[in-house]
Amino acid sequence: MKIDIRHIAKLSKIRIEDQEIPKFEKDMERIIGMVEQLPDISGMDLSPNPADAMQLREDVAVSDKYTRNELLANAPQVQAGCIVVPKTVE
Amino acid sequence: MELYQKSAVELSAMLRRKDCSAREILSSVYARIDGAEDRVGAYVTLTREKAFEQADAVDAKIAAGEQLHPLAGIPVGVKDNICTKGVATTCSSRMLENFVPPYNATVVERLMQAGMVMTGKLNMDEFAMGSSCETSYFKKTHNPRDLSRVPGGSSGGSAAAVASGEAVVALGSDTGGSIRQPAAYCGVVGLKPTYGTVSRYGLVAFASSLDQIGPMARTVTDTAMLYGVLCGHDRMDATSVLREYPSFTSGLDGNVAGLRIGVPREYFSAGVDASVKEKVQEALSLLERNGAVIREISLPNTDGALAAYYILACAEASSNLARFDGVKYGYRAKDYTSLNDMYEKTRSEGFGDEVKRRILLGTFVLSSGYYDAYYKKAKLFQKKLSAEFEEAFADCDVIATPTAPNTAFRIGENVDDPLKMYASDVCTVTVNIASLPAISVPCGVDAAGLPVGLQLIGSRYSEQTLLRAAFGYETLVGGFDGVAALS
Amino acid sequence: MKYETIVGLEVHAELSTDSKIYCDCKNAFGMEVNTQVCPICMGMPGTLPTLNKKVVEYAVKMGHALGCTINTVSKQDRKNYFYPDLPKAYQISQSDIPLCENGSLTILVDGVEKTIGVTRIHIEEDAGKLLHDDSFAGSLVDLNRCGVPLIEIVSEPDMRSSADAKAYLETIREILMYLGISDCKMQEGSIRCDINVSVRKEGDTQFGTRVEMKNVNSFSGAVRAIEYEAQRQIEVLEAGGTISQETRRWDDAQGKNFLLRSKEDAHDYRYFPEPDLRTIVISPEEVARLKDELPELPNKKLARYVTELGLSQKDAALIVENLDKSMLFDETVALGLCQPKNLSNWILGDISKYMNETSRSILDTPLTPKRLGSLIQSIEQGKISNASGKIVFDAILHEDKDPETVIQEKRMAQVSDADALTQIAQQVLQANEKSVTDYKNGKTNALGFLVGQCMKLSKGQANPAMMKEIITALLQQ
Repeated sequence: MKIDIRHIAKLSKIRIEDQEIPKFEKDMERIIGMVEQLPDISGMDLSPNPADAMQLREDVAVSDKYTRNELLANAPQVQAGCIVVPKTVE
Repeated sequence: MELYQKSAVELSAMLRRKDCSAREILSSVYARIDGAEDRVGAYVTLTREKAFEQADAVDAKIAAGEQLHPLAGIPVGVKDNICTKGVATTCSSRMLENFVPPYNATVVERLMQAGMVMTGKLNMDEFAMGSSCETSYFKKTHNPRDLSRVPGGSSGGSAAAVASGEAVVALGSDTGGSIRQPAAYCGVVGLKPTYGTVSRYGLVAFASSLDQIGPMARTVTDTAMLYGVLCGHDRMDATSVLREYPSFTSGLDGNVAGLRIGVPREYFSAGVDASVKEKVQEALSLLERNGAVIREISLPNTDGALAAYYILACAEASSNLARFDGVKYGYRAKDYTSLNDMYEKTRSEGFGDEVKRRILLGTFVLSSGYYDAYYKKAKLFQKKLSAEFEEAFADCDVIATPTAPNTAFRIGENVDDPLKMYASDVCTVTVNIASLPAISVPCGVDAAGLPVGLQLIGSRYSEQTLLRAAFGYETLVGGFDGVAALS
Repeated sequence: MKYETIVGLEVHAELSTDSKIYCDCKNAFGMEVNTQVCPICMGMPGTLPTLNKKVVEYAVKMGHALGCTINTVSKQDRKNYFYPDLPKAYQISQSDIPLCENGSLTILVDGVEKTIGVTRIHIEEDAGKLLHDDSFAGSLVDLNRCGVPLIEIVSEPDMRSSADAKAYLETIREILMYLGISDCKMQEGSIRCDINVSVRKEGDTQFGTRVEMKNVNSFSGAVRAIEYEAQRQIEVLEAGGTISQETRRWDDAQGKNFLLRSKEDAHDYRYFPEPDLRTIVISPEEVARLKDELPELPNKKLARYVTELGLSQKDAALIVENLDKSMLFDETVALGLCQPKNLSNWILGDISKYMNETSRSILDTPLTPKRLGSLIQSIEQGKISNASGKIVFDAILHEDKDPETVIQEKRMAQVSDADALTQIAQQVLQANEKSVTDYKNGKTNALGFLVGQCMKLSKGQANPAMMKEIITALLQQ
């Protein structure tokens, strides 16, 4: 199966240089070839299982668990208590 | 025998008898690290200072006569995809090279509560994607049983540290075999627990519905003890199950009489090395001679498992790894002209090729028009496979298979062939897809002297049965090889 | 050629829970940037979501209010896209199995009732905010709003005009307020909507191609946006063009919209089930309990005010649209002290004026339903005049006193005793002989002067109607 690797890369926000395209394309096509071996399954559905119910959290707010500095310590660029990103234009 | 060569059980008894201190144990392990690490390369980060502080705290408590957990003072290595407060958690990726979490994973909190001493953070395949530890951005880890070979992956650093004596026990994580395959390659014990029994809070997600943290050790008893520390409900993890857990060490009596072992023929197919089959058969014969009941079974859906695994795991990974975008934490590309340029450069430079391949595959199978053909089909297959296992467990207590179809390959041997690399997961992925527990124990060596792994698979929440069976086998063979000599 | 406008709305309402939807951070507006966040809502590696029970309950309540089927077994899904205000690069939402579906809403447009279908209501998390400043080359990210719980209410394309849409939005807001599940503060962005607009020639049965409009931040903006877009589409069609399925961004300041992305650039959100959460299961008992907890909803209330309490449609609507007013009205009516019609006049008159002037909630003042009821009762029974009533009203608010106390202290009790009034009238007639003569010579306006003198003599306490009657009788003797 032919895969539009550029389209998938764009969706993934991964830049693949032109010279790398053939290699990724080939790898991907082989992998897709492998995953296409999956047999068809009939007589089953995927509706959520009520037996797999989760416990919900009570609505109780907790404040001051972390300082802003702690939480922003890993951010590449910070200014005025905010994370800085390249200008976004709608 | 040096302290670092001893099991957690032995060291725990020594601490209790005051035959040694936690500091002495840690010193011995660190001396081993200092002597072996340049050849093994198990660690990404060493936390020497913190570790000695923790060991001293344990010694102070012992001196004060406090009641301690049996694993208090035991050095433990932690895979580098498990978040540790104030200690870099890199997932062996350039993307997280400088990421220092402000929180601990729940399992790390549990280790600390038990008084265990963290030696450092262990190398792995980048974001746990790989079967050889070769996709790590930082270093290659070498198999302590044969330094020219890979330790397996993705928890290769964990397996290598335990096998080399650079840690007494370690935490790994297993999404498709990432605890069991390296355990098999390095000749140690590794348990992949039932999904939901160990909290995933703080485990950097690869595939959320398949990931599970588990213990690695040189003996079954140490594995059982560490699992006892890790398991339990966590309200921070909505997929964590609410249940009572038994003591995992109390039932270890070495008896295998009457144990019903199913042997699925599909796991002994052409793709499995002859020497691996032979060793596993020998192990089964030994168990049978000692009263276990061996029956051949069939799990016909085994063949599709690898395909389903790569679809499900990569689909989830493509979403889980989208957060690494250079905004809030982690790597950000240096030069960019726009937001989109920043995203694309950051992710292209921050991720290695294997991670990119899997993100691309995952994005593809979820993309418009392909969801039903891939993702949905794989989910249906997952249901089918789970039902098939459930049926099989009606007639047997455990299912025995090889852990991996081969033994440790040479470093560099498979790096250029992703499919060949993926094939080493063929015996282990079924367990994750069906949310089951499984343990890998060493079962001899092949002609090249490389360890072979025996995998025992149990029904959901049957860890006690699995550990009993594994301990029975360990007893029959007179114990497993200890720390590798590194010759 | 006449065209018909087809409108469908997706309303996003922030829920007023204490904590966020997937973590225990405070759900608070207007706080200092990046102070209401934690590793979970910042999407830090390894963190996991846990679903807030209140969010599910609130959504189910809204589902009941809109007559939806409640799915007792549902799930959550991931909607994947990259943007700096979305830390995980996916939004946890609900795709194929929403909590509530197949409901409807009755709206009133120009006195005519219309029923608008409600396709579904689902829960999801809000994103953060991007701050822009022209003096700065980049954008700033504030993540405080990340994880604020939202419900998205999706309508059927059942609206046919901007007026329909406005009525729909206002009705939705009223219901949210009545349920107490959202602050509904437009200026804080707690209700937002995306609008789908298409046009077709009158008589056509097929829908035209729809265009989605984003960034609509007020109900009046919604009206402008719909009218603009419908006109734009008509012009395209009239010029022989075709409408393409696209997303446009409304700019309220310019009164125009702009192409945001065409169909080809449409996002591929790659929805799939959220693996970090398990099934949402609500027991039938819980569903029933939440239904029992519903308050009387605005449309029911309106009908009751008109048919049972005799209010005009207009007055009833004015009270119903404000939760404080309707609560004060209901509680006061329940005491049975005064006529609902008089009460309504007070609420829509002096009380509304007071609320507007002070921007206070009338529920936080000393004016209790009991005080209001007895104040109006005193007027109805003629104990005090309307003018005195206003003084008493001020005194209740400013001095926190019961109306009886004020009336007594200020000696306001109206004199309605005929003998006492006759005495006053006789005094006035004696002192104003000229006016009496004028009146008898046909100058009837002298009567007003004489009554005024009586009122003055009684220090305003005489019942003016009775006073007038008595004077007239005496003059005609």
